[in-house]
Amino acid sequence: MLVSSAALRAQDTVQFPLKIRAGIDVSGPVIYFTDKNNLSLEGFISFDRNEKMAYVLEGGYLNYKYSQYNYDYTCKGIFMRAGVDFNLLKPDVSKGKYQAGVGLRYGLSIFNPETPLFKHENYWGTASSAIPQKTSLGHFLEVAPGVKAELFKNFSIGWSIRLRMLISGGGGKDLRPIYLPGFGTGGKTVNAGFTYFLSWNIPFKTIRVITKPEPVEETEEETDALQNSTIR
Amino acid sequence: MRFISAAISVIISAYLILTASCTPAACFEETNAYVKASLNDFETKKTKAPDSLTVYGTGMEEKKIYDGEKGVQPALFPLNTSAENCSFVVSINGVNDTITFRYRSYPHLISKECGYTFYHNIDTPILYTKHTIDYIYTSQKNITTKNVENLIIYY
Repeated sequence: MLVSSAALRAQDTVQFPLKIRAGIDVSGPVIYFTDKNNLSLEGFISFDRNEKMAYVLEGGYLNYKYSQYNYDYTCKGIFMRAGVDFNLLKPDVSKGKYQAGVGLRYGLSIFNPETPLFKHENYWGTASSAIPQKTSLGHFLEVAPGVKAELFKNFSIGWSIRLRMLISGGGGKDLRPIYLPGFGTGGKTVNAGFTYFLSWNIPFKTIRVITKPEPVEETEEETDALQNSTIR
Repeated sequence: MRFISAAISVIISAYLILTASCTPAACFEETNAYVKASLNDFETKKTKAPDSLTVYGTGMEEKKIYDGEKGVQPALFPLNTSAENCSFVVSINGVNDTITFRYRSYPHLISKECGYTFYHNIDTPILYTKHTIDYIYTSQKNITTKNVENLIIYY
């Protein structure tokens, strides 16, 4: 058997640690530090399926208050987002420590919006009214490009931009929620946000990832057969 | 890689603090849901703005919506959100009529910046005197902030 020169190169592989990650979003507390009317707490867990993809579950709590000259608004609620993250870095670059990619999420928000007071002024004078608290459900989709980097052993930081599209905000077309947990400003169908998170990583398995596939071996018999078929 | 992450972190933190402290944006949208009435000539059935139009709510004579104005088209009637009906004195070319609207009001969110308004569903038939008005046709019962004709007043 004759082995071609290409086959003399060995197959390249890297050891890639799969991890479970648990983290918190720190942007919510930072915003709360500057705006005491907006408390958003959020955490996540993710589970690496392989070197390219991870399952993600995010959840959080919102306590939002807003007030301006003609209305007051409050909203308390919880949310969850479920989806996947795709890591676009090559395994030999990523090494289980770095990620740059995009996440896809479905979001569900359960919340209690209330408008304790609003005023409306027209020709006849000023009318005041209120919209009582009512439990509502919101559904949305999210695309989340972002990066992660391991700063210390098993400790990462990262950020992601969140591009969200509201499927349903509850309240019908007249009483759309002003702010939804996990989504943000609800008056718009499309919204953008971001998260900045810290995470603790637990390696649970190491896999061998092929970075350069083994070349196909060509035997003498196969080469002869190919030449014969060409001659005929 | 670490340097890039750290630099981006600083930028995002600064953005967070700046955006969180921003003041609310201004409201540029229409906040009143008017009854929008085209004024038409009864004989030709075509739109025709009167030479003089005066409109005010009954009991609100000192506060006129239109005061002898020429070329008004369409006429806008603001409904009283604190009541289930309201009437307007409509003077077309110096001849007075009264139009009474009966309706149901309900709140509607315009936007975060503008807050809430009231939309209305008007009941038909609309009640009116016929000194100069011949007929009122209701084309759209739902009164919103959208620029949609609700009535046609033939005179």
